[in-house]
Amino acid sequence: MKALGIDIGSLTTKVVILDNDNIVTSVITLSSDEAELSARAAMEQALSQAELTDSNNFYIVSTGMGGKSVPFSQQQKAITTCLGRGIHYFFPSVRTAIDMGAESSTVIRANERGRIVDWANHDKCAAGTGVFLQQMAKLLQMPLEEMSRLSFQAKSRADISGTCAVFAESEVISHVHRDPPTPKDEIIAGIYFSIVSRIMTLCKRIGTEKDVAVAGGVALNNGLVHALEEEIGFRVLVPDTPQIVTALGAALIARENIEKGAK
Amino acid sequence: MTTANQEKNKIDAIIRACRLLSRMSQARPDARKSEVLYYQMLSKYYTRLLNAKEEGNFIAAHTVFFPTEILYAMDIVPMHTEATTWMISLFTGECADILSAGAELGLASEICTPHRGLAGAYAIGTLPHPDVMLWSNMVCDNTAKSGEMLMEINHCPGFFIDRPFQQSDEEERYLVGELKDMINFLEEQSGRKMNWSRLEEIVARMDKQIELTREICELRKAVPTPFHPQGFLELVSTDYLLPGQPEAIEYLETLRQELTEMVKTGKGAVSHERFRLMTLFLPPMYLMGFLEKLSQEYGAVSVTEPFFTYWGEGKLDPAKPLESVAKKSYMIPEMRMYGPLDERALGSIVDCAKQYKVDGAIYYADVGCRHTCATIKLFKDILSKIDVPVLTLDCDVVDPTATSAEEVREKLGQFFELLEDR
Amino acid sequence: MMIDAPPKSNVKLPTLDRFREINNTFPKTAQVLDYKLQGKKVFGWLCTYVPEEIIHAAGALPIRITGYSQETELEDGNAYFYINNCSFSRSCLQLGLRGGYDFLDGVVGGSTCDGARRLFDLWRYYIGTPFHHVLTVPRKYTQKAHALYFSQVKQFKEHLEEFLDIEITDEALYHSIQVYNESRTLLRKLYELRKLSAPPITGAETMEVLDASFRMPKELFNEYLGNLLDELSTSDNTHHGRARFMITGSVMANPEFIKSIEDQGGLVVTDELCTSTRYWSDPVLLAGEEPPLQAISRRYLNNFPCARMFPSDERFNRILNLARDFKVDGVISQVIRYCVSYAHDLPLLTKKLKEQGIPTLALDVEYGTSGSGQIATRVQAFLEMLEARKK
Repeated sequence: MKALGIDIGSLTTKVVILDNDNIVTSVITLSSDEAELSARAAMEQALSQAELTDSNNFYIVSTGMGGKSVPFSQQQKAITTCLGRGIHYFFPSVRTAIDMGAESSTVIRANERGRIVDWANHDKCAAGTGVFLQQMAKLLQMPLEEMSRLSFQAKSRADISGTCAVFAESEVISHVHRDPPTPKDEIIAGIYFSIVSRIMTLCKRIGTEKDVAVAGGVALNNGLVHALEEEIGFRVLVPDTPQIVTALGAALIARENIEKGAK
Repeated sequence: MTTANQEKNKIDAIIRACRLLSRMSQARPDARKSEVLYYQMLSKYYTRLLNAKEEGNFIAAHTVFFPTEILYAMDIVPMHTEATTWMISLFTGECADILSAGAELGLASEICTPHRGLAGAYAIGTLPHPDVMLWSNMVCDNTAKSGEMLMEINHCPGFFIDRPFQQSDEEERYLVGELKDMINFLEEQSGRKMNWSRLEEIVARMDKQIELTREICELRKAVPTPFHPQGFLELVSTDYLLPGQPEAIEYLETLRQELTEMVKTGKGAVSHERFRLMTLFLPPMYLMGFLEKLSQEYGAVSVTEPFFTYWGEGKLDPAKPLESVAKKSYMIPEMRMYGPLDERALGSIVDCAKQYKVDGAIYYADVGCRHTCATIKLFKDILSKIDVPVLTLDCDVVDPTATSAEEVREKLGQFFELLEDR
Repeated sequence: MMIDAPPKSNVKLPTLDRFREINNTFPKTAQVLDYKLQGKKVFGWLCTYVPEEIIHAAGALPIRITGYSQETELEDGNAYFYINNCSFSRSCLQLGLRGGYDFLDGVVGGSTCDGARRLFDLWRYYIGTPFHHVLTVPRKYTQKAHALYFSQVKQFKEHLEEFLDIEITDEALYHSIQVYNESRTLLRKLYELRKLSAPPITGAETMEVLDASFRMPKELFNEYLGNLLDELSTSDNTHHGRARFMITGSVMANPEFIKSIEDQGGLVVTDELCTSTRYWSDPVLLAGEEPPLQAISRRYLNNFPCARMFPSDERFNRILNLARDFKVDGVISQVIRYCVSYAHDLPLLTKKLKEQGIPTLALDVEYGTSGSGQIATRVQAFLEMLEARKK
């Protein structure tokens, strides 16, 4: 029996298939409006990638925003639980993990077994997330990679509002249209700082214990991770494939269930 | 609809709800007799309030943690403003009209919903008009500053009790002085005299009431816990609305008896107790029924509420009634919210968690309640030292639009998963 | 935005630079570090209901806890205090958490408002200063209230004596009263100058002086202020404006805020803040045989009231007097978000000022705001409205 974890997010759906301790395959697809459809599509892709057919026995654990809407999963787990397990797989020394997803950020504290001890998240607020970054990229008319690259060049940073994504947007616009316009690298540094500040507030609420790791698609943004490190004051660990951490955690839980003799 | 009818709307709704719940309770074979008594008690309190004007009685509206014993001793009808707003939310689920009336008065959205709601309720006349407005600085600046405005809305005189922040002989003496001044004020305004022997009786009963509450809370330490998950609200309302009243004693004695039986037979409030929880601050009123259901579903029970049911040490002396009333304000569980949070106060919360064998705590973070939210991290940190995780749930005590049942279910579910996993 | 410039230009006031130096380096000013090097003690206090003279009489340096001088990102403040507490308390706590006050031997506060009392709760647990004292401050002015406050002041004095292992004598108290009354007299002289139709000192500059007043040894402050008054009398400086303003509201210590109002053309001639008139206007009055401790206690409770005091009329009356004495055209109220007591008072205060023919501009601010952007625009509109009225 193989373990399969599905993480259905607002922007992307991730699937990880495990055979014992090894990742057989992982997949990241765009989510559709229907959680169940997203799940099926992602699973199909994962199966074909791994050259497995449907008839193989799977224990499936689903998680994420759409985690509850997967009728063919045997168990549904919270994002935080899966995040803890998943990041522990990559870095057993991690005690604090920050998941920077498309629409929300979550910070967790975990113990030496990857079990959650505490968590905090912003669920009523859009700022501090992947979608926010994409909006900013559009405003500055450049791809995210370019933004990241430029952020390293900034000698100072523009003051971008700490409180709200809506205000931040209008501030960025005014910086761009200023005469003379604020240099783009400074604007980006300001945007990153405001995102990081919001994450830091979450961290401070539950305490930041070393080692700290990041997960989620936004963790691919080197410039943002660097800005985070500056604020935290030390290096943070970044897995090679940060988007699949939660799905991997779900798969690990599936594997535990298999070991316990689940059918 | 005439103004007189409208005035009775909200109180009427509470009474009707209480009567209905009382009847429903009586119709169930496994129902607690104490529950029936509780709803009858509430019903009686609000009926007295509703009929006060017709019966030629004097109504004194008052804020939270108030020495209501004095009002009862003077045969003045008390109206607990914050609790009534909670009851409106709890029993009718309808707060939109009073909240928007509050906003129309120009009250900032930062003022907590119970205060906005009650000001709004007075403004649109859905609460009986009080003859006097009594308030104190317990438990926050909002309460301290709201009195003058409520006097204006109701066109009535008022008295402010300045309750000192810390506890010492001088501070207690000052408080007794304030109580004396208030009695003079009330005698003048109402034409009724303080009946000192009645006050002594009330204080004697209040002492018994506190003792009974302590005993009931001792019984809750049993594993499994015998008192149903949201039962603490009954204890809280009993203390707020009916201090030193015979009905309160009857209710508490009946409840104690029932819980003693349950503990003897090892019967728990929920069928399969999995998580023992500490409740910090107040769950949203309009979700009480839902939370009760969730508790049964997950086997999660609130076994202790340090701010509401965990009484401090001390006895009341009926021979010194005013001193006792003043002393009580330093014994109430809520004083952990108002006094300095020194080692003793913080230690008592940790003790409480240990004594009740608590698995986790839930902090209901009411966004309008500033001074309680300032303790979230502090309590989380002291409880983490004894390995008790704390969930912070952003919510509002009275306003249903703040958080939905679904959101609460998700957050709680996640938390129970965390507890399960350990 | 152009003001009618006077024909001559104003000269620099050298003492202002010395005050600026202190404000810029605060909390770790040269004087503070000096005190510590000498083995003397430094105590941080919060709220005008803390009797500073007692700390001074104990031979220690009292400095006011004021948080960051600018509006700033408050991650730590938000995490510990949660987001719904005033930015002043969050700012103070964060500065404390980040070691800004690590030299303090003690902190003293009053149970004045929710923000303050929670600040002290959190400070005690997370920062911890060797000496920690909170005074219960009554909300009334009755005889009984005075008796209670006096017992609190006495208790504070005794606690301090125990901690420092000294006796605070009546002589020392008399001396401290003298020094502090001298500051108050000098500040009164400074404010008298602002009553002029073209004052020699701006509101922003006055704020710099006020900030320094509670951040340095009083003796030195008196010396500097004496110098400043001399400079002002010889300088012949004048400042003009399109309207005379009074600033009122929550705790505020950023001169930039006042400057941005004055840059628009408004002249801030007086203020009702706990960092200004509520801090210094009332002297300690010594009456006959009255012991100094009693006189101090009486002064502090009767002081120009904070909005927390009851009844609010006391405060309102004094504000109206101030507005009349300084011939104020308009009032600018700046209330910090979540600052409950001041927010509650505002509607009634506005009404009373209106009855005196004085309009109020109500601004919602965060602590440390510099007054740019939205605020400047609204001040501009307020000025134009006032000018139109005059016509």
